[in-house]
Amino acid sequence: MVKLSRYILVLIAITGLAIVLPKLYWMAFAQPVKSPFVQYSAVDNDFLILRNEEKTVFTNTKGETFTREEYEARLPFVYTRQLLMNRTLPDSINGVEMDPHQISKYRSIFRLKPEDIRAPQPSLFPLFESQSGRVNLEMPEDFFRITWRMEFIDAETNQINEEKSRMFSAVLYKRGFQFPATSISGIPTTLKSCDEGYLVIDSANQLFHIKMVEGKPFVRRVDLPEGLKFKTIQCTDNSDKLYYAYLFSEDKHLYMLTQYDYLLEHFPVDDIDPEKHEIRIYGDLLNFNVSVLGEGFVRSHIFDRDLNPVDEYSEIWPVQSQRKEGKIAAALFPVQLSMTNPNSGFINFYFQPSPAFYWLAVSLLLAIVQFILIRKRKQKLRSQLPDLLIICLTGIFGFLAVNFFPNKFFS
Amino acid sequence: MWKAMIYKEWLKIRWFTLLYTLLGMLAVGYLFLKVQHDTTFNQANNYWNLILFKGLKFFSLLKFIPLAGGLLVAVAQYFPETVNKRIKLTFHLPFNENKVLLSMMVFGSCCLLVVYLILIALFSGIAAFYFPSNIILPALVSLIPWFLAGFSAYYLVALIVLEPVWKYRFLYLLVAATFIPLFFKNGPTAAYQPVNITLAVLTILLSISLLFSGYRFRKGEM
Repeated sequence: MVKLSRYILVLIAITGLAIVLPKLYWMAFAQPVKSPFVQYSAVDNDFLILRNEEKTVFTNTKGETFTREEYEARLPFVYTRQLLMNRTLPDSINGVEMDPHQISKYRSIFRLKPEDIRAPQPSLFPLFESQSGRVNLEMPEDFFRITWRMEFIDAETNQINEEKSRMFSAVLYKRGFQFPATSISGIPTTLKSCDEGYLVIDSANQLFHIKMVEGKPFVRRVDLPEGLKFKTIQCTDNSDKLYYAYLFSEDKHLYMLTQYDYLLEHFPVDDIDPEKHEIRIYGDLLNFNVSVLGEGFVRSHIFDRDLNPVDEYSEIWPVQSQRKEGKIAAALFPVQLSMTNPNSGFINFYFQPSPAFYWLAVSLLLAIVQFILIRKRKQKLRSQLPDLLIICLTGIFGFLAVNFFPNKFFS
Repeated sequence: MWKAMIYKEWLKIRWFTLLYTLLGMLAVGYLFLKVQHDTTFNQANNYWNLILFKGLKFFSLLKFIPLAGGLLVAVAQYFPETVNKRIKLTFHLPFNENKVLLSMMVFGSCCLLVVYLILIALFSGIAAFYFPSNIILPALVSLIPWFLAGFSAYYLVALIVLEPVWKYRFLYLLVAATFIPLFFKNGPTAAYQPVNITLAVLTILLSISLLFSGYRFRKGEM
């Protein structure tokens, strides 16, 4: 039992050290990884790349470099106001008139990080009045959840508003909603231009649009292709008012849901996985730019407004683990443990095993050191064998742990 | 004889435990007084919105309270045993030494568990007046690691206090300093959901750690 308690303590020490030592190492030696910023120029029909190296470099895919003014002139949808001020905004691009109001209307920016969806999600939402006749939205007095029915809970009294709950549940039921909801997506803030309610997936994997219009429920079922399942639905508040949401399917495809006619429009691109990579979607008067950013790479896909592919670009660069400091860490630590992960909002034990096997040499060296210590202390080798095995498997963490808790037992 | 043993443990920790329970209950009371105040001044719907979508942790006042309880009970229970090496008297009783140490640990753990359950019940009971289960359950998921930290601190302090050699006490303290922060990582409410079970298992395993330093103590390690 006493020996068991020692091994438990060794395990606890290894766990703690496997988190703390790599963390200290990276605090001391980590260097920032500067990723390029890729945008599409409708003027040049080419990608422009902004590199933050020793000094900022503006370049394109052909390797030509530009001054800041030349760079901005090639991105009229991004630097519209600057070009207006400089009076260098072109009159038209590809035959499309460059009206500042139209540019502003069709401009949209959307960002989604894995940690936004791989995180605890709320299960209670405010249902705004979408036609209040007021300019600003107001936070409702109650919040709803969709379990065995749609329930509204008054925040002031913490009591269920039975009348409203029955009214909404009845309409949902009539429209074929299968309780409970498995996902509820919306923009639960008053800081948006207008309210379009929520897009809700029911337990039969049907998609519904639910909102409140003049106090009454508005429920509309959206026709989906057979078997289409979504990883996440992200509602948008774009000024063009053409789409309700971006929808990311389980099979790594990207769709948009059109407003009013509820059509799913498909981006002809695959491998869009918001659970693993950051997704950015920039819309402008002429194009959509769907960018996928991962550790050490960027992919940009350009589509016209009808979602026909126009161009694409990708670039890779060395990540932290491929650099000198990463290789040293891989040799020092058999595994790097962390309670947090940049791609997740959840706290867990995240293991990152060493990609190389140099750590085995370090572990063996430490086991030899331990062997010499055992000899010096004149301890019996047989009783110390488990410790040597622990050091071989866990390297520096195990070496420190077995020496923190001395293996000294009396017969 | 066992009854007398348990009574001795109770004598050591009773005032600390009762005082800590009282202070813990006051902290929970203060927490909801603040909730009452904030909902009055900010309106309940805005306050719910802050909790659900802006990351407000209305329960964060309780963060280190279970840890303080674990430390307090452990020091109250084990420190007197090391003064003049009094625990050696216990080891001279006609009982298995490990059993004696384990019974001390089980008694301390049970006391802590009772106090923690009182605090959690009080928290959940009062919270039910203000919030629905959709807000209370994620809060409880976030509270669990803080209470587990209380137990872990209790076991680690027992280990450190009973260790006879100062050098190793320092090393155990280092291990405690790497382990206890695992329960206090920042994240959204309910972020600990996937790891709470693993942390609970590690905490339960840690409960017998005092046997190690207790063994070294009774073998006269210098």
